[in-house]
Amino acid sequence: MTALPTPTGGSRREWLLTDRPQSRRQARLGQAYRTWLAFRGNWLAMLGLGIVLALIFLAIFADVIAPYHPTIGGDLRTERLLPPSWEHWMGTDGQARDILSRIIYGARLTLLVVTLVALIATPIGLLVGTVAGYFGGWVDTILMRITDIFLAFPRLILALAFVAALGPGIENAIIAIAITSWPPYARLARAETLTIRDQDYIAATRLQGAGSARIIWKHVVPLCMSSVIIRVTLDMAGIILTAAGLGFLGLGAQPPQPEWGAMIADGRRFIIDQWWVATMPGLAIFTVSLAFNLLGDGLRDVLDPKARK
Amino acid sequence: MHYSRNLLAATAMALSLFASPQVQAETPADTLVMAWNIDDIISLDPAEIFEFSAAEIAGNSYERLVTYSNDDVSNVYGGAAESWTVSDDGLTLTFKMKEGKTFASGNPMTAEDAVYSLVRAIKLDKSPAFILGQFGLTPDNVEEKIKLIDPMTFSMTMDKAYAPSFVLYCLTATVSSVVDSKLVKEHEVDGDWGYDWLKTNYAGSGPFVIREWRPSEAVILERNDNWTGGDTPAMSRVIYRHIAESAAQRLALEAGDVDVARNLTPEELEALKSNPDIKLQQGAKGAIWYLGMNQKNEYLSRPQVREAMKYLVDYHTIADTIMKGKVTVHQNFLPEGFLGAIPDEPYSFDPAKAKELLAEAGLPDGFSVTMDVRSSGDTPAIAEAIQANMAQAGVNIELIPGDGGQVLTKYRGRAHDIYIGQWGPDYQDPNTNADTFAANDDNSDDAAAKPLAWRNAWQDEGMTKITRDAVLEGDAAVRAKMYEDLQREWVKTSPFVVMFQQIEVQALRKNVEGLQIGPSFDTNFFYTVTKD
Repeated sequence: MTALPTPTGGSRREWLLTDRPQSRRQARLGQAYRTWLAFRGNWLAMLGLGIVLALIFLAIFADVIAPYHPTIGGDLRTERLLPPSWEHWMGTDGQARDILSRIIYGARLTLLVVTLVALIATPIGLLVGTVAGYFGGWVDTILMRITDIFLAFPRLILALAFVAALGPGIENAIIAIAITSWPPYARLARAETLTIRDQDYIAATRLQGAGSARIIWKHVVPLCMSSVIIRVTLDMAGIILTAAGLGFLGLGAQPPQPEWGAMIADGRRFIIDQWWVATMPGLAIFTVSLAFNLLGDGLRDVLDPKARK
Repeated sequence: MHYSRNLLAATAMALSLFASPQVQAETPADTLVMAWNIDDIISLDPAEIFEFSAAEIAGNSYERLVTYSNDDVSNVYGGAAESWTVSDDGLTLTFKMKEGKTFASGNPMTAEDAVYSLVRAIKLDKSPAFILGQFGLTPDNVEEKIKLIDPMTFSMTMDKAYAPSFVLYCLTATVSSVVDSKLVKEHEVDGDWGYDWLKTNYAGSGPFVIREWRPSEAVILERNDNWTGGDTPAMSRVIYRHIAESAAQRLALEAGDVDVARNLTPEELEALKSNPDIKLQQGAKGAIWYLGMNQKNEYLSRPQVREAMKYLVDYHTIADTIMKGKVTVHQNFLPEGFLGAIPDEPYSFDPAKAKELLAEAGLPDGFSVTMDVRSSGDTPAIAEAIQANMAQAGVNIELIPGDGGQVLTKYRGRAHDIYIGQWGPDYQDPNTNADTFAANDDNSDDAAAKPLAWRNAWQDEGMTKITRDAVLEGDAAVRAKMYEDLQREWVKTSPFVVMFQQIEVQALRKNVEGLQIGPSFDTNFFYTVTKD
């Protein structure tokens, strides 16, 4: 590696944007910076990113931020079903619990679900898709038919069936959602792999003696990553909604856990007169789902080379 | 951005949903429409009915041998039967049927129909058959025990000289409804006593005829012009509409789509008080709310833990807030209005006392158990409040929600830790609750009888014996005393935390008069309803 000139002040920007990078690292950083600049220009995507970052912040510092305990309510006789006020910004629910605090703690559950589902489903989808696309033939046929079976059922119905078999609970809900959300990634990865596998540089790698596993892992997967990441981000809203749907049906997080879907189910009892009990968690789900969609849209615009103007 | 178009469409739809209740749609003047959650109906056969809504429907469409006054439960009089006599040895009751009664089909009602109905109930041996079976009637001997004497008289012979009040109260239950034997026999297939047919059809003589049952949609009843039990009902049609969601019931009631809403929450009832078109009426029901603690659980089987749990429910706060107007605090197994009921309230919410008891039991830091909760109606809210109460003494409860079927199957299989639910008496005699809460003859896993005590794997031989003796006591005052003493002992040691007695509240349109709320589920009558 050549010694890099120390970037200072305004020259840092020039260093990043130079069209003659001195090193691979400079090139890579420069590329990332250009992507960021393009992304930053999309104010909707920035809004989405801001909300997602705020969600992460809320989840991490819930203990400090939340004004009340999320599961232990106040006095049932005097603090039940209070409308939004300065003491309780989002009002209180049927068990005299502060709804704002519950939503803040609920962010943890939502993030947990989203993160774990992404971590479980993405590798499965990538593995199945790249292997099927790379090898073709009967491997492809078998893997894709399995994928087809999963795709043949509506996602929520399939998740319901898995949770019914595994038993209710947040962990089982995560497993059920992960099991049902990998097939689209497999399809996507396979399609990408099909276009990549006959390229000359893959042939060159093979001639150098690289095995299939190495080619898939080192040369195919990285090229599939960007489209899969976009797809996963766009799916986050769906994952949140599925988790909330399971919670609403009593199959996701169990009371008194402050899961947003379960909170809406709880608020149904009061929906006409105490509108805030169901509305506040509904707004939370809406905001976060929208944010992930905006973020995914923005990412697609900057990461998808085919869509670039 | 294709999302925004979807969003617009969704918003428009949501707005139209909110706008729809503005349309006024009044029900016809001779039709009573009730909104009720009727998804518990599994059969319309009086020999099988054991569910709340089906019992109410049967109560309005069949006549039972004996009945009682809704205002004074101790006033027992003949329904289909005119009178009865008890033999000197107390073993045989002879019933004389009322003259001139006809079924809706036009067939005359005779003692033959009564004998057929009772024999049929025992032979079919469905859930409620035990109410008659406890007098020593079995599918093998019932034809010798229940005998036709002449066209309008029959006799019933029992294995012991049971208290007459006990026998008569049992004969007020849905299972003693008189079915039209000619009509049912026409539909018999392979000696099934017409079971397949009567499950969804009707062969009775009550004020109303069951015209149609569409599961999870509606039950339609029409006036029976052959009924002679009272003034001709003003309503020619009564419709139960299945509306599961209480908020939807309320909207339908306010819009005038229904005349009565049956499953409203306390908050909704409170809000309706200010609506000039709506009125509320209520009546005490025999149903009680309780927790059942499975003695197979190593913590719950310790006597101090059982007692500690009774100090860990904030009875009055729950009754005054979450369940406001729908329950009163009640801690004994006999509900108010029953022979031998006592108003004692030995337990109050006292986490400090509970902690002491838990420490005595060797659990100073509490313990963790699960609670099976039916995920509809008021149960989840009560369960969550109790969860918060119990957490104050370190008892961590994990709630496991499920639908009615799931939760009950688990409970009946003794696979639960704690069960929360309602218990409704099967007939108006104190033995109905004593038998299930206090008595357990066989605690083995494959026992024939499975009372609530069995479901919670609890057996107390002394209390079982008192329960068995009490049904043979002819003197009502002595019998009442036996039940009072039994409950005072039971409340201390049993694995049950009885919390509330139910109050049924109905919200009605202002013009509906005369809808009766009886003490049990099969005595809510609507033949007296008028609308103006």
